[in-house]
Amino acid sequence: MHIDAARTGLVWPANLNEIPKEVFTRADIFDDELKQIFYGAEWHPVAHVGEIPNPGDFKTFSLGEIPLLIARAKDNEVRVFYNACSHRGNQVEAAPYGNKREFECPYHRWLFGIDGDLVGCPSEREFSPGFERKNYPLKQPRTDKFQGLVFITLSDETPPLKDFLGDIRPTLAEAMAGDGRLKLIGYQRVKYKTNWKAYCDNDGYHAPLLHRAFQLLNWQGGTGRQFATREYGHIGFESELTVARVGNTLNDPSIVEFKGVDPSKGSRVVELFPFFIATKHLDTINLRFAIARSVDETEVHYAYFHHLDDDDELVRHRIRQSSNLLGPCGLVSMEDASVFHRVHIGNHTPGTVAFQKGVTDTRKLSFQFKQNDETGNLPRWEHYRRVMGFERSTT
Amino acid sequence: MSSDSDAQSAIVDVQNAYIEALDNKDMPAWLATFDERDDASYILTTRDNEQQGLPLCLMLDDCHARLKDRVTYITKIWAGTFQDYRTRHVVQQVACAAAADNQYDVRSNFSVFYTPSDTGQSSLLACGVYLDRIAITPTGARFVTKKAVTDTSVMPQYLVYPL
Repeated sequence: MHIDAARTGLVWPANLNEIPKEVFTRADIFDDELKQIFYGAEWHPVAHVGEIPNPGDFKTFSLGEIPLLIARAKDNEVRVFYNACSHRGNQVEAAPYGNKREFECPYHRWLFGIDGDLVGCPSEREFSPGFERKNYPLKQPRTDKFQGLVFITLSDETPPLKDFLGDIRPTLAEAMAGDGRLKLIGYQRVKYKTNWKAYCDNDGYHAPLLHRAFQLLNWQGGTGRQFATREYGHIGFESELTVARVGNTLNDPSIVEFKGVDPSKGSRVVELFPFFIATKHLDTINLRFAIARSVDETEVHYAYFHHLDDDDELVRHRIRQSSNLLGPCGLVSMEDASVFHRVHIGNHTPGTVAFQKGVTDTRKLSFQFKQNDETGNLPRWEHYRRVMGFERSTT
Repeated sequence: MSSDSDAQSAIVDVQNAYIEALDNKDMPAWLATFDERDDASYILTTRDNEQQGLPLCLMLDDCHARLKDRVTYITKIWAGTFQDYRTRHVVQQVACAAAADNQYDVRSNFSVFYTPSDTGQSSLLACGVYLDRIAITPTGARFVTKKAVTDTSVMPQYLVYPL
């Protein structure tokens, strides 16, 4: 799919650290993003198999405006379907989650197995000549998995998932407790009043400044690194966290304890293009499945997990910590959620935003970042610009 | 207190004190509506999590020390970092049953409206049900457990204050 970038009249600044604010607020650009990015040659995480652990378990989700049905069949295979009947396109499953033996479209009672096969359709003898059920399963987008994380892409041209992820794979694995053998402990869902690109544009610079908890608990100063992949601009953070010194700040320090073993003390954050975020912070394992609902609405399903080998005590600890640390009301993340709204308000003003911390050359893309630089976001912005077909100004 | 009507009156008083505390952003007053026993708790979760048997919560203050820390989050750690909003709680008790040890299990429906200070536009933040265990003490009723279960499964924004 190709769009006419010239139609937008958008001039991309020559300086690599500047982003035109109108990309955050223009509805016509959002429509182009759906076509070029969300329905284009990128991979999109839509679920982790640990969310639907039993045969018959399903969840519904969306990629942009496209409804999806994700189900685990009797063969334990997790499949992604378009959530539309193969007959007249009626949404097959309306529930956000559940467990079923089959999916029935209520309109004409076409019946599908949880593996997507059409197993029943009333008045079949009166159908068009040559009709065969096997030609009418629930349709599936191209699907692949990495350690249980389920990706889809709508394009045949998307490179294999392994190549899409590239060098981010080891860090993504560490964010999922090393091997992705996870089981869901619950969700926090929220709809932010912000553009999807502002939601995922957080940086290493802000953390010790915005989040007072990092100062109060003396969480700063741990060694770590930030890196980005050359293709796609996926970002990885690997940080050692010093053990929190709670002092007089908290009465119950158990909430910020680290009890796990792998990876060693600390935090992993992975941001995949376009806007999926995986976090392992202390003992909290968090995958953020997000939906770009509109130019100014981004829905995020924070899914939390424990590892399959955890003992009961560690599971209890993960539940307590996960219920209080990250997410839309978490100790070290509520402020981010508020900033998402304010950035979106400010982005309606004219001009560009400028990244500064860590920029050494405004005309050359760098892949050397310090832990608290904000330049790690720039390779992703460059990938965005190229995919969207926006020409960079030469002056 | 001796009679059920005295207990009912004390329960209404503590529910009202809870609402007044949150709607006035008076977090020490919010804390004072809880019993001082170590295992006093405040829990905020969604009906979706409950129905799926998922133990994760939006807020999980499962001991009195964590109730105190909730006050610290709001008054010290987050202060000055968020777009503030005012809440308005509308609460209707729908069931009340005596439990052991001068305690009552109380169920109430709630709606919480919010008005961000910058937009001035009021909307529903969440609705749901409170499942409370309330102890009648010599100095009035106090929450042993306050559990808010929201019908709202997708919050319209971040949450600063408990519901």
